Amino acid sequence: MKKQKGKITDIIFLAITAITAFSIIALSLGIFLVLFKESLPAVEKFGFVSFILSKEWDPVREIFGAAPALIGTLITSFFALLFAVPIAVGIAIFITEIAPSFLKGVIGTAIELLAAIPSIIYGMWGLFTLAPIMSENIEPLLQSTFGKLPLLGKLFEGTPLGVDLFTASIILSIMIIPFTASIARDSFNLTPSVLKESAYAIGATKWEVVKDVVLPYSKLGVLGGVGLSLGRALGETMAVAFVLGNLNQIPHSLFDAAATVTVKLANEFTEADKDIYLSSLYYLALLLFILSFTILAMAKLFLLKAERK
Amino acid sequence: MIPKKRKIVSTLALFACFLTALWGIFWLSFIIIDVVRHGITAINPSLFLKDPAPPGEEGGGLRNAFIGHLLLTVFATLIGVPIGVLGGTFLAEYGRKYKISRVISTLADIMVSVPAIIIGAFIYAIIVKPMGHFSGWAGACALGIIMIPTVLRTTENMLSLIPWPLREAAFALGAPYYKVIIQVVYKGAATGILTGIILSIARVTGEAAPLLFTAFNNNYFSLDMSQPIASLTVTIFQYAMGPYEDWHAQAWGAALMITLFILIATISGRILIKRRYRD
Repeated sequence: MKKQKGKITDIIFLAITAITAFSIIALSLGIFLVLFKESLPAVEKFGFVSFILSKEWDPVREIFGAAPALIGTLITSFFALLFAVPIAVGIAIFITEIAPSFLKGVIGTAIELLAAIPSIIYGMWGLFTLAPIMSENIEPLLQSTFGKLPLLGKLFEGTPLGVDLFTASIILSIMIIPFTASIARDSFNLTPSVLKESAYAIGATKWEVVKDVVLPYSKLGVLGGVGLSLGRALGETMAVAFVLGNLNQIPHSLFDAAATVTVKLANEFTEADKDIYLSSLYYLALLLFILSFTILAMAKLFLLKAERK
Repeated sequence: MIPKKRKIVSTLALFACFLTALWGIFWLSFIIIDVVRHGITAINPSLFLKDPAPPGEEGGGLRNAFIGHLLLTVFATLIGVPIGVLGGTFLAEYGRKYKISRVISTLADIMVSVPAIIIGAFIYAIIVKPMGHFSGWAGACALGIIMIPTVLRTTENMLSLIPWPLREAAFALGAPYYKVIIQVVYKGAATGILTGIILSIARVTGEAAPLLFTAFNNNYFSLDMSQPIASLTVTIFQYAMGPYEDWHAQAWGAALMITLFILIATISGRILIKRRYRD
């Protein structure tokens, strides 16, 4: 009798845990389907290609296009990665190969705390502290140096106001450093010490061991970490919302204000008074979801592959 | 001659790595010091005990936002933690041999990083729109959904660390699986699971994006979760972007409180887990 009861409870417990586990699948599917359903009117009205290529964003005339927001998202994420990845890899090398053991923990924790600080704090700090420094010191300095170069100089044109793509990318880059750094550190640690020792034995310097043994061995893992950071950068909202200005234009220089998909959503979602307006915002959200989901999934596959090696 | 050059290159490159670590620490201290410096002047009793003054008027506080934020976080935890812990239990115990568990696990890892604002848009469509207005419940659901994958993955990892012979010993005594899980496995993994919960609470405490169009905001004191409710993060956004000096000061005060809470929670979570798995 008692055994019977135990069995029934066991089945009930199994069922509950199974349902909760499958809720993850339901959630991901549900998010996709709901976003798709909500964006359907905009999809039907604007199509796909013309939506992502159109620069128009006119709530009055009810014409919407995604190009400025998508370009803003891609530019900020690209530059954030450009600034963050070398730094993050450097930090991982420092922690795994150079730092004495008492520093390892401290620096590792400090870098991970960068990920713990909420994005709204980054945004507020960016607006009140970093943006003025940018517009008064750093950006004029960049203009008077890099701005003089042919071609590359175009990136630094315009009045440096501090509320622009450059500041946003810098903040984003600080925010994503810990994601790449911690994954790179873990992959570096996976390098078999026999490999490293044999390189040392034939007279390689520490840097040569890092460059020619550790990095090639762990490149899949590092790539996964970069993908994860990119996924984060694409979807970052509040930090960028403060310092980008939400200006619907295709930027010509790094010192232009712009918009990203997330900033548009954050600023306009509650203002969208017409159905097609809201639907267009959902369309943007759907594109962002697909984009970041794909990139994160690829990053995850890289990491799984790296682990299996 | 050549070995010397290689040695110099090596030293320079490693020094550059040292500089990158400094770069990271520089920004961390810059941000924290800045938040403390601005925030400390705004901390006074009325920040916690008074509700907002009408726009443009001096004084007032953020009592409504502190309470609202607490409510949102508590209910989000009540939604996210049970689902996450039970789901993680399935992946590590009953379902550990099925392929679908690996799929769910991977999917959860992806969902951890899916933009939070997307979750907000999702909740807006399925809760806010049918209800016809913003509500605290919608905000709590959005935050709860964000917690699920994090808690689920840490639970799964922590349960997998419990050695199998421990379970087998309990099986041998005739205990059904659910009893083994609750009385043996959960007990062994309690610290780890608790850490996961603390870290995920720390994470959702700082979220603003998913609250913007779910819980929205409320300038008045309210405990009613079926109505729009104020939160610290949305208030920070509104106040920092607003035109008044007094608003900015209060936003810094709120920012300091949130940052302190999150840093303390994160660091104590890490210390907890280090202590537990030191050996």
